[in-house]
Amino acid sequence: AFVVLCCSCLSPPGKPRLTSCRSPEKETFTCWWEPGSDGGLPTNFSLFYRKENSDTVFECPDYHTAGKNSCFFSKNDTSIWVNYNITVVATNALGSNFSDPVDVDVVYIVQPHTPENLTVVLEGEENPFLVVRWEPPRMADTRSGWITLIYQLRVKLEEEEEWEEHFAGQQKQFNIFSLHSGEVYMVQVRCKPDHGFWSEWSTTAYVKVPDYISKDRSIWIL
Amino acid sequence: LLSLCAQCHCVDFSNLVDRAVQLSDKLHFLSNSLKSDLDSHFPAVGKKIPRLSLCHTSSFRTPVDKSQVLSLPVSAESELLSLIQSLLLSWKDALLLLSSEASSLPHAWNTGIHTKAKQLQEDWHNLQTGLSTLAHKLGSSSISDAAAVPYTESSLGDDSTRLVNFHFLLSCFRRDSHKIDNFLKILRCRTHKKNPAVC
Repeated sequence: AFVVLCCSCLSPPGKPRLTSCRSPEKETFTCWWEPGSDGGLPTNFSLFYRKENSDTVFECPDYHTAGKNSCFFSKNDTSIWVNYNITVVATNALGSNFSDPVDVDVVYIVQPHTPENLTVVLEGEENPFLVVRWEPPRMADTRSGWITLIYQLRVKLEEEEEWEEHFAGQQKQFNIFSLHSGEVYMVQVRCKPDHGFWSEWSTTAYVKVPDYISKDRSIWIL
Repeated sequence: LLSLCAQCHCVDFSNLVDRAVQLSDKLHFLSNSLKSDLDSHFPAVGKKIPRLSLCHTSSFRTPVDKSQVLSLPVSAESELLSLIQSLLLSWKDALLLLSSEASSLPHAWNTGIHTKAKQLQEDWHNLQTGLSTLAHKLGSSSISDAAAVPYTESSLGDDSTRLVNFHFLLSCFRRDSHKIDNFLKILRCRTHKKNPAVC
């Protein structure tokens, strides 16, 4: 009876799956995986990689920095314009199982952190407009040209459903005109490298537009 | 003619670099797009191509991370420029071949592969011309073909191998066009040093 029970519930681990690899700044990167079934036993995971220009297989240099089921490649372990062939191996007391290998060139997995220090300032008294400013994510070295970011912002009135999107190109400032008098605006910004993925949207900046259409003026319009 | 020349001289170096960057960005975008077309129309072919370390330009030593790129001499912009030029020049014959053989690929006409391959070759030519103008502005002697790594094959093989070879060559170009674009964007930031709004 003991043997039957054992064979029915314990097994080698299921096949793990590499879910994604991302680099926030083209200088380091992280890969994450999903375990398969654990076979009812404690399971260990190892990540192995081989670079296209060499036959040497290396093990993941850092399983801790990026959290559970991940491998972090520091600056010293990261090259670009080179394919990394990556495999995850799950092992328990009864055996091992390999993920499908994944080929990664860091150049194509760049997804930056969100832009920082978003500020919205109201300017102009008669015809007020919003001046939206932000900075690139701290880790992205846009100064040297190592990474090039383009920005998008979105704006909406607080009580409205739909965002209105604006493309800012490489600029770190954007003006918004034709404001609704006496309303609250919400503004967010995100960034994308020239050949990569959009970041998350930033936290929201709120700004209240005063009642700037005075009585005299509304009469004049009429 | 005189007024035309006068106008040419008005375009300063950093403005010319901006224009070159627009072209290199487009060139890489196009090679990326063509590569995705191939991947989606012929999903099995990508797995058959050799390692990219066997690309004809891989003997060309270029930096592999940020510290190496940024350690390229700051003072001599012309050195960075000639690196970019040699790499681009190495693709002259290979892109001609890609462009001429694209039409004989299966479904080339209705997948748009043919059109994009032709466009790739034209964009290459425009960037090449632009870089020569830049080099001329910098006063560096015209780049010698010796620094480039020529492509020596004269065909992509018969029907059984053409698609794999096309895919391989294009994958090599996609990587090199990214290098060219990245190096040019670094050059742009160096020339715009006094104008931090750009970088």
